[in-house]
Amino acid sequence: MFKRNMKYKERMAGLLFVMPSLLQFVFFFLLPLCLCIFASMTDWNVLVRDKSFIGIKNFIEIFQDSKFWIALRNTFYMLLPIPVYMTLGLLFAMACDKKIKGDKLFRVLYYLPYISSIVALVLLWKWLFNSEFGLVNQVLGFFGIGGPNWLNDPVWTKRMIVIMISWKMIGITAIYFLASLKNIPAPYYEAATIDGANSVQRFFKITLPLLTPIIFYLLTVNIIGSLQTFIEVDLFTKDGGRNYGVATIIYYIWQKAFNYSQMGYACAAAILFGVMILLLTLIQFKISNKWVYEGE
Amino acid sequence: MKAKNKTRIVRGLAFIILLAGAFTMVIPFVWMLSTSLKEAKYVYQIPPQWIPDPVDWENYIELWGNSRLLSGLKNSTIVSACVVLIGTFSSTLSAFAFAKLEVPFKKGLFLCVLSSMMIPFVVLLVPQYIIYTKIKWINTLLPLIVPGALGNVSMMFFLRQYMTGLPTELLEAAKIDGCGYFKIYYRIFMPLSKPAIVSNIIMIFMATWNDYFGPMIFINDERKQTIQVVIAMLNSYHETQTDIPLVMAAALIAILPVLTVFIICQKYFTESFAITGLKG
Repeated sequence: MFKRNMKYKERMAGLLFVMPSLLQFVFFFLLPLCLCIFASMTDWNVLVRDKSFIGIKNFIEIFQDSKFWIALRNTFYMLLPIPVYMTLGLLFAMACDKKIKGDKLFRVLYYLPYISSIVALVLLWKWLFNSEFGLVNQVLGFFGIGGPNWLNDPVWTKRMIVIMISWKMIGITAIYFLASLKNIPAPYYEAATIDGANSVQRFFKITLPLLTPIIFYLLTVNIIGSLQTFIEVDLFTKDGGRNYGVATIIYYIWQKAFNYSQMGYACAAAILFGVMILLLTLIQFKISNKWVYEGE
Repeated sequence: MKAKNKTRIVRGLAFIILLAGAFTMVIPFVWMLSTSLKEAKYVYQIPPQWIPDPVDWENYIELWGNSRLLSGLKNSTIVSACVVLIGTFSSTLSAFAFAKLEVPFKKGLFLCVLSSMMIPFVVLLVPQYIIYTKIKWINTLLPLIVPGALGNVSMMFFLRQYMTGLPTELLEAAKIDGCGYFKIYYRIFMPLSKPAIVSNIIMIFMATWNDYFGPMIFINDERKQTIQVVIAMLNSYHETQTDIPLVMAAALIAILPVLTVFIICQKYFTESFAITGLKG
């Protein structure tokens, strides 16, 4: 009897303790998700009182909207920084792993862009890439290169965003790699050296395979993150740039919902995009067992 | 001898790579600081001045008197404090229950909560806006505070993993001594998880303080706005007047709090990566 009472008390305490998480799940996840699915099949518009059920008409309209396709292409363009900062991040991590003096200071400096707010970075970037007086074009000019009009040409704005994101993410990527490098047991390298493996062989046969779990983790998280690029587009351009040349899917959805008040349409686009990301992630997990090292 | 020389060369090369990298990371910020201390008329000098002459503090003084910037700082502080303090409490409490206690339908509930990490935020954004409009939360700080105060799923997950690793005997022994469940959490498991908690707190503070998307969408009233939106608006206002030093000073002020916290807690932050070790 006493034991049963104890069990009951523990279950009640447990339920009480997870309550905040459950409330959050129900009210800020489940409810909005259901509402989104429902709204995606209506012509919900904030400015119009009535809304009616229109089935999959929103989805058909999205597929026929040329802006959606431009935005989709730009969204995938935003994946370009990932290989850049992954490679450079690994390079810096390996350099830091060589027991260099002052590596603590280096680490703090490398964090700097990552911890800065994207708004502050964008403001800084606008000034650095100012076509006439910006530092970047002045340096380019010093080498006799005429710098492009970064902020007004959508093609160059996109390239500038790629540079900025690469710059922002190198440090944090290096830190992740560094933590994994430190976990590789030293005897592996010693044994390989005795067997006559040179440093290139050691890198490709030991380091890289043992880093695949962290590479997989970073790829998954960063692809999801990069596909949701929005703030840069909003702050660097007006209306997504000339010919919608910089706009991403999130920007497209945001514009539909908050500039045109087409809530139903925006929800449909959001669901489409959400499913796309989900599928992409699942595919990544599926092919991961082909290349990710899972330990002995 | 030969091998020794070789390691020296490798180390030298590594040092040069790191130095070049650090230079690239820091130069833009130095430029930002330098610009913020210039008078507007010196900004367009070619070649540029790195050390401003004369040093001009006017921009900072002007910003200090800017009521919008001050209210932005105040609102950001309120939001960040609530999210960090209450949110950490909620996340660790759930983490403790999921890790160590018996909870009805534990596995199912845990998976449900985790599943919310899989959905991109944009799917929830528009319906959340609709809901907030219905319950009159638009133009208040509540949409920024309440969801965060109920906890952070990734922190909850991280801490659950961490607490699962702590010995269950601690729980059993405390129960026999007649210790209540909340006390067990508060006196035993929370203190033991301190390093993991601190590193998570830094990340959450950073994300909350730097958030732009949330306040931009849920708040229209300038006096209720957080610092990130305030400086973004300051920029679009001053861009036409091209008062670049002022904008740079404002951007620097927006970075400063996170930078301070980060430097103070640097030790925990690096440790957190060692702890995660990213086994997954």
